[in-house]
Amino acid sequence: MRRSSSWLLPGAAGALLVAAWYAVVLGWRLPSYVLPSPGEILAAAWQERRTLLASALITGRGAVLGFLAAAGGGFILSLLMAFSLRLKAAFYPYILMLQMTPVIILAPIFVLWLGQGLPAIVAVTFMICFFPVVANTTMGFISADRGWGELFAVCRASRWQEIRYLRVPAAMPYFLTGVKIAGTLAPIGAITGDFLAGTQQNGVGGIGFMTIAYFSQLKIPALFATGLTACLLGFLFVGAVSLLHWLILRRWHDSMIGKE
Amino acid sequence: MRGKGGFNNPIMDSGPIVRLSGVGKRFGNGPAVLEGVDLAAEPGAFISLIGPSGCGKSTLLRLIAGLTPPSAGQIALAGGADASSFLVFQEANLLPWRRVSANVELPLQLRGDGTGPRRERVRAMLGLVGLEEAADKYPWQLSGGMKMRVSIARALSVRPRLLLLDEPFGALDEMTRDRLDEDLLAIRTRDPFTAFFVTHSVAEAVFLSTRIIVLAANPGRIAREITVPFGYPRGPELRESAEFLGLLAETSRVLRSVLNP
Repeated sequence: MRRSSSWLLPGAAGALLVAAWYAVVLGWRLPSYVLPSPGEILAAAWQERRTLLASALITGRGAVLGFLAAAGGGFILSLLMAFSLRLKAAFYPYILMLQMTPVIILAPIFVLWLGQGLPAIVAVTFMICFFPVVANTTMGFISADRGWGELFAVCRASRWQEIRYLRVPAAMPYFLTGVKIAGTLAPIGAITGDFLAGTQQNGVGGIGFMTIAYFSQLKIPALFATGLTACLLGFLFVGAVSLLHWLILRRWHDSMIGKE
Repeated sequence: MRGKGGFNNPIMDSGPIVRLSGVGKRFGNGPAVLEGVDLAAEPGAFISLIGPSGCGKSTLLRLIAGLTPPSAGQIALAGGADASSFLVFQEANLLPWRRVSANVELPLQLRGDGTGPRRERVRAMLGLVGLEEAADKYPWQLSGGMKMRVSIARALSVRPRLLLLDEPFGALDEMTRDRLDEDLLAIRTRDPFTAFFVTHSVAEAVFLSTRIIVLAANPGRIAREITVPFGYPRGPELRESAEFLGLLAETSRVLRSVLNP
């Protein structure tokens, strides 16, 4: 594919979709409370920009905190499980169980324990982000090349040296893959969180909270605009995580070499 | 049988660097991989181990390296169990996230040497293997031959008294291998070490060694020992000499007799 097609094709497809959207709205004379046109959504987004920005910040804060807790906690737990197979055998099934329980059911329990607001939102985000980090990182810790292990044995390296100089760097690509998945999930987690446990100040809450507010006020174009806001927040998050991924692996990992 | 191969040895220690007496190895309840191995390496010796696959040559190296304990017999290293030996693997086993210089530095870092002497030693080692230019590169930027040079520089960085090489050039093309064999001998002249060298190539064994140990399989045991009478330094022209070709033929004959008794 030529370079121009990487912009041209999605651009053309986007224009086509917008045109089709307008055709549907205008053709069937749909009122904006059923399906607003793209123009009406952008107008509503502009009108509500302060509210939406504030709600994105609120949701973003929950997402970042939950994400960091999951990345850090997941890393440490994986490390412990990688070095004690008994610990892993004992706890991995329960981590799986926790993952299998829909977070939407856990959320009210968190509200019960933590009350409405940020702590509960962070907890929901954490629950959603935790598993991909743990699953990938654990795999990374146990799959360092055997030859490297023998090299460290030949060097008579201590257990701690092996962890620090071999296991952790070797697990980095896996950890970052888990973190990347967690990054796509974190905004969703935080939005789910403030959907269920969000609070408001002067009528402004997180994105999930605003969704409910606009829906109950029948501000449908604004409701669509919250979707746009959530989408942008998601891209921002994934972009930041991808940047981290690139910064750490660009010099040596196969997935990055030759792509610069 | 155990001649010194005419090697004028620069290490003045008396007694062998390592002595194996009645060494045997089996894994679990499996058959014996090695049985009754008696072997001693005098300082400065370059001993090649050849034999059919499954004769336990790699296992023998791993036993000497202390990666796995023998099931019978004793392995005595001069200077005790912590006396430095270093195993060079079949694969270069470089850590891909470390630059070449940091890879060479690894054993020194793990041993706890200070940063200053470490840097100096790394520079010297890269000079020894002719890779000063590649110090800041990552392993993926190197050819197979260069990777093996880094691996050897890494092994020599700790000045091991005993260098164990497990088919280090087996995966390389013949020209690169010949070149690396010559370089290995040149390095040994400048920075002497005692070596065990596992190989499948009879020519490589004859070219490098002071002695060649031919192993037989099932169970792995020493079948024959051949003394290589050539002195050092040895250059590429040795490969074309009548003496070399004669010994090559004889060694091949011995190996064949071990394979089909």
